[in-house]
Amino acid sequence: MPDQADSAGGTETAGVAPTPPPAVRVEGLWKRFGEQVAVAGIDLELPAGKFIGLVGPNGAGKTTTLSMVTGLLRPDMGRIEVAGHDVWRDPVEVKSRIGVLPEGLRLFERLSGRELLAYNGRLRGLPGAEVDKRATQLLDVLDLAGAQHKLVVDYSTGMRKKIGLASALLHNPEVLFLDEPFEGVDPVSAQTIRGVLERYTRSGATVVFSSHVMELVESLCDWVAVMAAGRIRARGTLTEVRGEAASLQDAFLELVGAGVRDTGDSLDWLGGAR
Amino acid sequence: MTVLDAPAGSAVPAVPRQGLVPVFVRLKLTLLRNGLRQSSGRRAAYVASLVLTLLFAAGQVIGLVALRGHGQAGTVAVLLTAVVALGWAVMPLYFPSGDETLDPSRLVMLPLRPRPLMGALLAASLIGIGPLFTLALALGSVIAVAHGAAAVAVGVIAVPLTLLVCVALARSVVTANIRLLTSRKGRDLAVLSGLVIAVGVQFVSFGAQHLGRAGGLSSLEPVADVVRWLPPASALGAVGSASEGSYGTALGQLVISALALGALMWLWQRSLVKLMTSPDGSTIAAADRSADRSGGDRSGLFSLLPEGRTGTVMERSLRYVVRDPKTKASWVTALAIGLIVPVLNAAQGSGSIYFACFAAGMLGMQMYNQFGQDTSAFWMVALSVSSARDAYVELRARALALLLITLPYTVLVTVVTAAVLGDWAALPGVMGLSFALLGAMLATGALASAMFPYSIPQDGAFKNVVPGQAGLAWISLLGGMVAAAVLSGPVIGLTVWLHMAGHQDQLWLLLPAGAAYGTFLAWLGVRLAAPLTADRLPEILAAVSKG
Repeated sequence: MPDQADSAGGTETAGVAPTPPPAVRVEGLWKRFGEQVAVAGIDLELPAGKFIGLVGPNGAGKTTTLSMVTGLLRPDMGRIEVAGHDVWRDPVEVKSRIGVLPEGLRLFERLSGRELLAYNGRLRGLPGAEVDKRATQLLDVLDLAGAQHKLVVDYSTGMRKKIGLASALLHNPEVLFLDEPFEGVDPVSAQTIRGVLERYTRSGATVVFSSHVMELVESLCDWVAVMAAGRIRARGTLTEVRGEAASLQDAFLELVGAGVRDTGDSLDWLGGAR
Repeated sequence: MTVLDAPAGSAVPAVPRQGLVPVFVRLKLTLLRNGLRQSSGRRAAYVASLVLTLLFAAGQVIGLVALRGHGQAGTVAVLLTAVVALGWAVMPLYFPSGDETLDPSRLVMLPLRPRPLMGALLAASLIGIGPLFTLALALGSVIAVAHGAAAVAVGVIAVPLTLLVCVALARSVVTANIRLLTSRKGRDLAVLSGLVIAVGVQFVSFGAQHLGRAGGLSSLEPVADVVRWLPPASALGAVGSASEGSYGTALGQLVISALALGALMWLWQRSLVKLMTSPDGSTIAAADRSADRSGGDRSGLFSLLPEGRTGTVMERSLRYVVRDPKTKASWVTALAIGLIVPVLNAAQGSGSIYFACFAAGMLGMQMYNQFGQDTSAFWMVALSVSSARDAYVELRARALALLLITLPYTVLVTVVTAAVLGDWAALPGVMGLSFALLGAMLATGALASAMFPYSIPQDGAFKNVVPGQAGLAWISLLGGMVAAAVLSGPVIGLTVWLHMAGHQDQLWLLLPAGAAYGTFLAWLGVRLAAPLTADRLPEILAAVSKG
């Protein structure tokens, strides 16, 4: 077991190994909020060392799933393992191995970007000097050096995502979970984030990110899981999931059962005489 | 449903033929109704505040009517009006988002001219509890002051004039400041300004006591003589002048109020035009903050804190006391009231040195709902806590950060109170008792933080609990305080016994005893709260993410 975990964090071996150990293994995962079933029995294995996209329409259960996998939300039922360790029974092993960028949760906004990184790194037990060195590099690469002394509360959406990403990467995790990392992010910041993530996966680490922008997933990921209504509808490499369809977008629309809606006569005044 | 049902091809006229006033009045009523529909709690709160205001207004009218014929009736009427007008000017700064119909930045995209818009906004502003209250006050004042037909005639003009000046005052203040109020800095200020009221109330109460002793209303007459000429109180001053037969003065006072109304409307129109025709600069201003702070991550006094989680958490906690408006407001309130109550009581000769324990109690309350103060950013803490040991260090660091402020402050308050009373003999005992109380508050606060976390809304100066969690907050605070009092029982008992048994010369024993006992309690509380926290991380995160 320890060997498997190590190889997931290794450099080139992960890509070539015949059966790479899963970065995440989920069995029979359920979550209900009152009457609403958010996640309805998911079984899923995410291969290590890949750039993995979790796609699905709004309300499909992506955020709920990622929250449970990262230990931020308690599942009603089911088992979750990250890098071979049970998330709920062995939090010490899991929490040191994962980096998380959640969606819809705040950061400590009254710290400056640099202070936030310093706080996070030291909280994770890294020595101060190392934290400062890594923070400087991350701020540079993510184009935040100019705003490092500004309070996060005054950051734009793109800057927040970038500082969140920096916090998640600071302790060099084996598996990185990103919930909608490109939502509301301008193209320049998106490109920067992309570059950092691609470099990170090349080292053999795993990135799991959720999105509903298919073009993005298609261009970034080599492994995809499609979610709808709390269930996994398809999984596999990009080509497997795309199948016969022209693009991932088409395959996705077919999978979640959303045809092109004809508006008929109901909007005939739109664009008519004014 | 709505737009799509409109007949095809027919363009909707930019301004409805019948004018904007009914549209805005209807909008206001709809918003009011929908707001009430949102939750039964909100409905109950609204009905309760309506009943309370009506009772208060009725009481005011009855009181003013009863004053009729009294020599000071004019003074009271004029001063009350001035206070209410001041309220109109200040309140919108505290509740900027209180009335959506009146937020002009929501109307920017509509093809509306300022002049008809102002009329409509003014009409919409006249609906609500506040205007009703003001109307009752103005009516009551006129009844109290008016003697003779001429005075009644002036009164008929004065009542609507007073109301309009008040409403226009509120509108022009809001419109002029809307950019500030909707920016981040402005919201921070609004949150902070809540404590001005919290602390001000203390002073007002002491001022009222002072006034009671100093000869009552007649001492206010010089103030009233000035206020009588200030709008909108001058309108009611005019009624008084007309009653006394000085019609010239009455006319002058009426004109002052009318001119004020005109000036306010003009100001309002100007800022409205500016607001609706120039781009929103609030975000630009916020982004303008220059980054001149220099270099290192750990600068100044913070570098004295220990490495590792303890120092890191303490540093963040202390930074939040200074930077987070909500945290800052609650700290400053606690610090101010913790000092004011014992010291002012002592200064008035009515206090005991044991009132100084109040400071320890107020400050210890800051330990409650620690994770709620983090808001949903608690996820960062949750991801870094993987054992009861981590949770223990986290809670201990937060308690230490708190002690860094509270310990010297408790000593200061106790010493100042002792100095004012000249009761130095009791000082060590009171200090010991304070330490025990502080320790008990830290212990119960840590446990309450783990067991009863709740969200703190980040906007608004007076909202400290989100709807639906009020019960939780009360259980946590009230239960915690009772438990803290019980926990400090042994030290309280020892104090009482030393007094009763005539061992006053040994009261100093309370200092080491209280300090040791308080330390033990705090350690025990944090120790017990740690495994609870570690086990309940997802539940705590869910509870504090509702803000």
